Amino acid sequence: MAADGDIRRHLYLRNVTFNVGEVEKPKVSEFCCHVTGCSQLFDTLENYEHHYNTFHRNVCSSCKRSFPSSHLLDIHILEWHDSLFQILAAKQNMYQCLIESCTEKFKSSCDRKKHLMKVHGYPSDFRFDKPKKLKRKQKTQERSPHDMEVEATVCQNKTNDIFCPMTVESMDQESGETMEDEGAPRPEYSTATVLPRSSISRRVPATICFGHGSIRGFKNPRRKK
Amino acid sequence: MLRGNGAPSRTRSRAGSVEEIKARRRQQEWALRKARREKQLVSKRLLRELQEDAEEMEIREPSVTQEEVSQLYQRIQRGSEGRLAALRSLCQLLHLKEVQKMFVGLENSMHVLIGLFTSNLASVQLEAALCLLHLSHADDPSISLMCLPATPYLLTYLSGQSVKFTEQCLVILGNVAAENEAVRNQLLLQGVVQALENCLQSPHGAVVEAAAYSLFQLLQAKEAGEKIVPAVLQTSLTPRLIHLLDPESEVGMPAAVEAAWCLHYIMSSGVSSDKVLISQGLVHQAGILLIALGRAIDSGTVADGVELLIYPVVRCLGNLMASREAPLHRSQLDTHGVLQALSSITSKFLHSQPSLSRECLWLLNNLTAGDERFCSAFLSLGLVAALFELIPFSDGINTLVLMLLGNIAEMGSEHCEKLQQQKEIFSALCTVLRTSEVEAVRLTLEVLNLILSHCEQACEEFVNQSGIPALEAIQYHSNKEIRVRANFLMDRYFTDKAM
Repeated sequence: MAADGDIRRHLYLRNVTFNVGEVEKPKVSEFCCHVTGCSQLFDTLENYEHHYNTFHRNVCSSCKRSFPSSHLLDIHILEWHDSLFQILAAKQNMYQCLIESCTEKFKSSCDRKKHLMKVHGYPSDFRFDKPKKLKRKQKTQERSPHDMEVEATVCQNKTNDIFCPMTVESMDQESGETMEDEGAPRPEYSTATVLPRSSISRRVPATICFGHGSIRGFKNPRRKK
Repeated sequence: MLRGNGAPSRTRSRAGSVEEIKARRRQQEWALRKARREKQLVSKRLLRELQEDAEEMEIREPSVTQEEVSQLYQRIQRGSEGRLAALRSLCQLLHLKEVQKMFVGLENSMHVLIGLFTSNLASVQLEAALCLLHLSHADDPSISLMCLPATPYLLTYLSGQSVKFTEQCLVILGNVAAENEAVRNQLLLQGVVQALENCLQSPHGAVVEAAAYSLFQLLQAKEAGEKIVPAVLQTSLTPRLIHLLDPESEVGMPAAVEAAWCLHYIMSSGVSSDKVLISQGLVHQAGILLIALGRAIDSGTVADGVELLIYPVVRCLGNLMASREAPLHRSQLDTHGVLQALSSITSKFLHSQPSLSRECLWLLNNLTAGDERFCSAFLSLGLVAALFELIPFSDGINTLVLMLLGNIAEMGSEHCEKLQQQKEIFSALCTVLRTSEVEAVRLTLEVLNLILSHCEQACEEFVNQSGIPALEAIQYHSNKEIRVRANFLMDRYFTDKAM
């Protein structure tokens, strides 16, 4: 007796053809995303809307990285930009599972990744779980300026990041470390590319490397935390 | 066009092709019934606008070679200027079964496609999403299964803010979950239930509809009762689904349809689910919706396809009313409103969709069985007369009508008194006696017995409406039980009338 109702339901699912929207989206003359530093081009408003909502909504104000959801952004801010996090993480499990409904926490991002793969079946190259430790930036053929993991703005200031006074505070943490390691005060330092400085730079010279994973190249402004 | 069945493609409807459309529908229905018999019935959906798109393309592209697909794939992999164009071309072909097979057979192709699906370039990402949508819609489950590695991304993107994209991801998820247990298992591990709950809260109707559709595909799985329904009941999904049944809801009817089917499957999956749903107000909400639909039908303002909403709502209520605690639940319903609505629906759809009328009659039976309030209301609303119009119809309709009359008659003298006062009731009953349907005849005799035993005047009425000849005729019925009952009635009530 129930057959007919089910058949109708399935016919509906297969044949949803009523209420058809516009099939062909009108093209507009090409325009560029208006967000500073973003240079993607668009020829339909629909694509632009998608781009804006996906790429310029959940943006980290510190490093300008973009995330597909506010949840991932929150985790990022906590783990990358919260100095208290590192302190707490040393004592308790602070790295939360990326899946919202999973309440597990881990002592390292590596452990979390293993969990994601083992329990939740995530791939080893899951795009939104790149480790904080930076690798050398790889040049891709398409040379997309908008890799999700890297800051969206490629502006002058960033390349001179190491010498920007605003990040002196964290550098202090490093400098503390340096003192212990090196035992010598750092010299004032300037390079030809840098804006003139009046104060003593507390920055570590680019040529000095503090161990595993830190970047030597001038073009990689990320500093080890 | 029968997607994936090898049927010839057709142009969009033009004047004079109504017969074509009907023939196509009949063929489709036949195929669906066969699939249902063999328990292979699964259906998936595309986004609406793509259906039209694909129809066009099938005419223009008669056959595609492996070479062509490989070349497109190469251009896609190369990642230069031609990538997007190649991706677009591929997308336009991916509804074709052969192309689907060819593409997934290429080395690393799914990995590349999923990589493009996570691209930062909007146009590439959207095009890749459409490709996945076509693959997910494939008739061959081994093809849609190839989308499995995309699930973590699909689920991640559900929390995003691009509405159309979210809708696409939800439809892809629903499609791949439909036929593949492996996909469903993985989705459960990756938090699909929570993700769907979030999407159901969206203010966008299309997203809500797609989320409910996706949930439906999970719930129709054979392992749903064991693995999926318990997980669903632990969240606040079901109150939200119940809320979507609200006729005043801005989210709209398509979402209500999906929600109703979800609730129906949850209800029929296990013992504890109905208790939970009742406590969350399903009975009350379903009743209100039914009444609103009945009113819309009466005033002629009802939308096309409303039966897709009525079926699951009626089934939910019918199942609820069949449970042991039914008397408690019935009190949550507006007796008059519900009866009136069901009566309107039954009458309206008798000729266009008799199965819907049948299911409404089934619900009416479950409402009236042993319930004095509903029986009295049925009588006082004057709904019995409409039942007589239904009596000639077979395929379960007449038997349900008779059972309904029996429910009312069982209530006692007062009700039988009112019944026998209904104009031409015995004429109507006797028409059934003259049919060859054994079960219907048997039920008629039972109803007659009930009425006659409770109400003396009924005998006289029966005679006045020429009941004796009809009764006499079946005293010689081929079926023994019927002969026995007919004889019993004659002897008991009409000895003086017997010839």
